[in-house]
Amino acid sequence: MTGTEDRDDDIALTGEYALHLMDGTERRAFETRLTNEPDLRALLREWDEGLIPLTDGVAAVAPPPYLKSRIETLLFASDAKQATSGWFGGRFGIGHLLAGTLAVLLVVFLLNTQFSSSDPTYMAEIASEDQALVIQASLADTDQLTLARTAGAAVPGRVLELWLIAEGADAPVSLGVLPDDPSVTIEVSEELLALLEGGTLAVSDEPPGGSPTGLPTGAVLAAGQIQTI
Amino acid sequence: MGAGYLTTISDVENMIVRAGIGDRDAFNSLYDATSAKLFGVCLRILNNRAEAEDALQDAFVRIWQKADSYAANGYSPMTWLITLTRNLAIDKLRARKAPARDIDDVPDLRDSGPTPEDAALASSERAQIDTCLDDLEADRSEAVRGAYLEGESYQELADRFGVPLNTMRTWLRRSLLKLKECLSQ
Repeated sequence: MTGTEDRDDDIALTGEYALHLMDGTERRAFETRLTNEPDLRALLREWDEGLIPLTDGVAAVAPPPYLKSRIETLLFASDAKQATSGWFGGRFGIGHLLAGTLAVLLVVFLLNTQFSSSDPTYMAEIASEDQALVIQASLADTDQLTLARTAGAAVPGRVLELWLIAEGADAPVSLGVLPDDPSVTIEVSEELLALLEGGTLAVSDEPPGGSPTGLPTGAVLAAGQIQTI
Repeated sequence: MGAGYLTTISDVENMIVRAGIGDRDAFNSLYDATSAKLFGVCLRILNNRAEAEDALQDAFVRIWQKADSYAANGYSPMTWLITLTRNLAIDKLRARKAPARDIDDVPDLRDSGPTPEDAALASSERAQIDTCLDDLEADRSEAVRGAYLEGESYQELADRFGVPLNTMRTWLRRSLLKLKECLSQ
């Protein structure tokens, strides 16, 4: 057994492994070989890199928000408390952004909740820390969220995307990309309406067309807690 | 990371390397940047939301555990992440006792085009794999795609194309040799 034949066998075998066509026993045997044979590993890498563009057409779908906490709890169980802070403690630093305004809003919020009727209306001031970007949001009618941008705008070539972070949720839900027009009305689905109370609205900087991943990919520019009035 | 820019391939690479030395913030960022694509891959193979969630969970646990070996293996970051995730999703598919395809459970993802980020991450090899598959006979390239994107086994492929198992095996091995030669050009 020499030369080309062996090499051809390995090429086909490695391709079968890359496609995941081997049964369990074959697969384990091949993995033992992989551990010991650098050339075979290099061949597998060529296969994997060559085949990967087939996944280009597979659409990205945002996983449900609870999955991230589940994974964090699983991996970092001893720090479960920290893990539950999830998105708020993460790289976007919404927690920080909110800290200043939260105390004030909380008082308003507490004062107002006791008067909340069965058909509540909501409002929020989505603002950056330096007030360079300010958007007033209110839900006057049943499902129409009215937004008025009173300061700031998207940087050229980028867009502003609006997000709802439900109370206790780890990840935001997109409410859509904001148009250039400073005033806009967005229809909010019944599902999302139920999440408004106690939630937070935030605006992030995104590429044209909005976040491609279903989660903010750019900086969170402004945020504001939703008040029930 | 800098505010206001798309996550780039080298960002993802850095996140993996940093996660490999135990940086949880990096792991958190890696999840935010890549979980949607990886979940899409799990859904594509498993066609069942609950199973896809389990597969994605397994994948990120494995990513956290194996990130320290990433730098040495020479893979591009998205290839490493997707390959690892795809393999776990197919393990899950094979572990099913009876096929329970829950097709109504998820939107049909087959015809979805790449998202802008996919396009940004897509390698120039895209055309090459398509060209090379086009060089194969139609049903054989279909078999390769079925194995790769649907996780179909030899038996399932043999059933689908109405040939004996061994014939399918011989077919595909020959096709793989041809494909690899084309990809290496």
